Amino acid sequence: MKFLPYILRNVMRNKLRAIFTGMSIAVSLFLVTVLYAYINVQDETGEKTKQFARIVVTAKQGLTFPVPIAHVDKVRALSGVEAAVPLSWFGGKYQDEKIPFGQFATDPEQINTVLSEYDVKPAELAAFKADRGGCLVGSRAAEQRNWKVGDNIVLKGDIYPVTLELTINGIFTSESSTDQLESLWFHFTYLDELLKKDRSRQAGNAGTIFVKAASPDNLGDLMDRINETFKHTDAPVRAVTEQAFRQMFTEMLGNVQAYIRNVALAVVISLMLVAGNAMAMSMRERTREVAVLKAIGFTRFIVLSLVLVEAILIAMIGGAVGVLGAKLLFAMRDIVFRGIPGISGFYVPWSTVIFGMALAAMIGLFSGIVPAWRAAQVSVVDGLRKVV
Amino acid sequence: MVPIKYNIRSLRSRWVSSMMTVLGTGLVVWASVLSFGLADGLNHTLEVSGEKLDIIVMRKGSTAETNSTVSEAVSREIDALSGIATNADGAKLCSPELVVLDNVPRRGDNGRANMMIRGVSPVAKYLRKDFKIVEGRENRPGVREAITSRSMARRFEGAGLGEELEAIDGKFLIVGLFEAGQGATESEVWADIDVVAQASKREGARSSIQIRANNPSDATRLIDRIKNDPQFGLDAITETAYFAEQANSGMALKIVGRTIAIILTIGAMFAVANTMYAAVASRAREIGTLRAVGFGRTTVLVSFLLESIILCLAGGVLGCLGVLPLNGISTGTANWQTFSELTFAFRFGPVVLIQALLLALFMGAAGGLFPAIRATRLKIVDALREI
Repeated sequence: MKFLPYILRNVMRNKLRAIFTGMSIAVSLFLVTVLYAYINVQDETGEKTKQFARIVVTAKQGLTFPVPIAHVDKVRALSGVEAAVPLSWFGGKYQDEKIPFGQFATDPEQINTVLSEYDVKPAELAAFKADRGGCLVGSRAAEQRNWKVGDNIVLKGDIYPVTLELTINGIFTSESSTDQLESLWFHFTYLDELLKKDRSRQAGNAGTIFVKAASPDNLGDLMDRINETFKHTDAPVRAVTEQAFRQMFTEMLGNVQAYIRNVALAVVISLMLVAGNAMAMSMRERTREVAVLKAIGFTRFIVLSLVLVEAILIAMIGGAVGVLGAKLLFAMRDIVFRGIPGISGFYVPWSTVIFGMALAAMIGLFSGIVPAWRAAQVSVVDGLRKVV
Repeated sequence: MVPIKYNIRSLRSRWVSSMMTVLGTGLVVWASVLSFGLADGLNHTLEVSGEKLDIIVMRKGSTAETNSTVSEAVSREIDALSGIATNADGAKLCSPELVVLDNVPRRGDNGRANMMIRGVSPVAKYLRKDFKIVEGRENRPGVREAITSRSMARRFEGAGLGEELEAIDGKFLIVGLFEAGQGATESEVWADIDVVAQASKREGARSSIQIRANNPSDATRLIDRIKNDPQFGLDAITETAYFAEQANSGMALKIVGRTIAIILTIGAMFAVANTMYAAVASRAREIGTLRAVGFGRTTVLVSFLLESIILCLAGGVLGCLGVLPLNGISTGTANWQTFSELTFAFRFGPVVLIQALLLALFMGAAGGLFPAIRATRLKIVDALREI
């Protein structure tokens, strides 16, 4: 500990070099942190959904096949089910937006029981229940499009051959930025009537059924019973936990994790070389000084440690700027990546921050090894004689 | 001008430091090119898929075939329109097709993805650019046989030649592998349209109708005719426009790739600046000498900038060489517009490589600028006195 002031002075001896090395590490680790946060956010939100004890029912052949709307009532009748609603992706176009936001046809009576993490004013929820052509919108969807309660909006069907004319009855909010606040709920019956009028064979399709279990225990048993109920019907289903349902979308995106790991690995090795190079330059300039240290009795081990700690310190300071910078940036601003699925709100979890700092320490350690070893090997006589 | 030989010799004389900088920038360029190559591959696949004379007919309002339905009756009316080309055997190039998605496991431990299974009639292959069976044979109508591409065979469980693919409530025997000019068709599995319709309980339904026009003016006429007939309720666009629209969904990948490259380049610039500052500091006397024998400030500035650029370009070349082994390796991601897996190959074409080298050039120029300016500011008398 008593060497700390000496090490700190060494760090700042060549200010420009220390700052540049630090900045190089900061900028690059900022990127690595954001990339890894993408993976970790998905894990965390998946983990979080466990507490809601929800099950998602899709057609056995997959999401693109229909689930008869009559299934909803049958699921509701099962013991251990608190509530169940159809949740059908409408995917319509709003004005000239290219990427559709989440518009879901559902049952207004129970939607807020199933998706209980969203807060809606009781009066607004009541208005929504009473208005067949009404809808509730998420706070983020409303903000982005300047929607207010009472506004009328038109959604042109892409998957469905109908156009919806909806009135906004209310706005729902949530404490967590990763919740689906970029979405809209409207009456399933409204969509279904339009489809029936059009004699579309898409009528009567619940899309998916979101089930809220009475307790988070025995979800497996409930899923088995749901599967069993429809096993011998025309439309068998597959019930999975909400977590597994989300996982499906992540998987569709492909091997993003491998890509992120490759980029991160390249960046980390690059930083080790860069920081190591800077450290080596510093040590070369200080050869005589190291010889003096040894001459007045510093052991090899201490000399080695001094250099290593210096290298780690530089990397950790740079790393802290980058990693915490990422944490702060995304904490201050609600940044939404539109068009990147699986992300509805973004933040940097603490687990990613710790990971980033560990990377910084590792970069420092590896960058210091060779220069430290060389410093420890400096022979006193040669070192003292050397003019840099 | 100071001879470039001077810079190269200087770099060689501190070769360990130079090598580390080259490797460091090389890795950064490698990571950037990797992202560029991914976006370029995706783009290329969708770009080569379109044929100008080919028209895709879908339900009005649908932007993807997977969202569209067209009735059998309407499909026959389209077939009767004039202006549609015929093939050598005199068959009309009008192909009703039914697209069905199924969630199928990828090979290895790679999760599942939505596979696009296309029900077709024998005429469909004439409407695909460079379509040919490269292994096995064509699928027969009326039976659960299917054909697919080599990349799909590699990517999906059960999609290899002779294997049985478990999809849409049953099994399809893969009897052949095709090629289709590296386009989006190579991300599909083809089977007989009636078999697919029956298996998916959508008898008589079509997702889209693909037609080829005789010539460009017929194409325009056909599109107008189909679009403006209120009885049809259909939309018709050229295949080129259809895939251009889908390429938009690859934009996210492109933007992510560019952002990564820019951030990494900024990080690398600092590292380059470090190396160059050290170079200037340790060569003060040389710089003084250069100035003393008559080289001007600008000449010295250019010389150091060049040295920095050479250093980074070497890294750039290394990074580009590093990605070449990955060229053509196939990968895949979700095409959110069709909600299905799109397979494509990494593609490091000239544009991507030039972009990478420009990135390296920028790294060298920006990182070397301030150190080079410092070199010009040294006072000759002081610099000569330095040891």
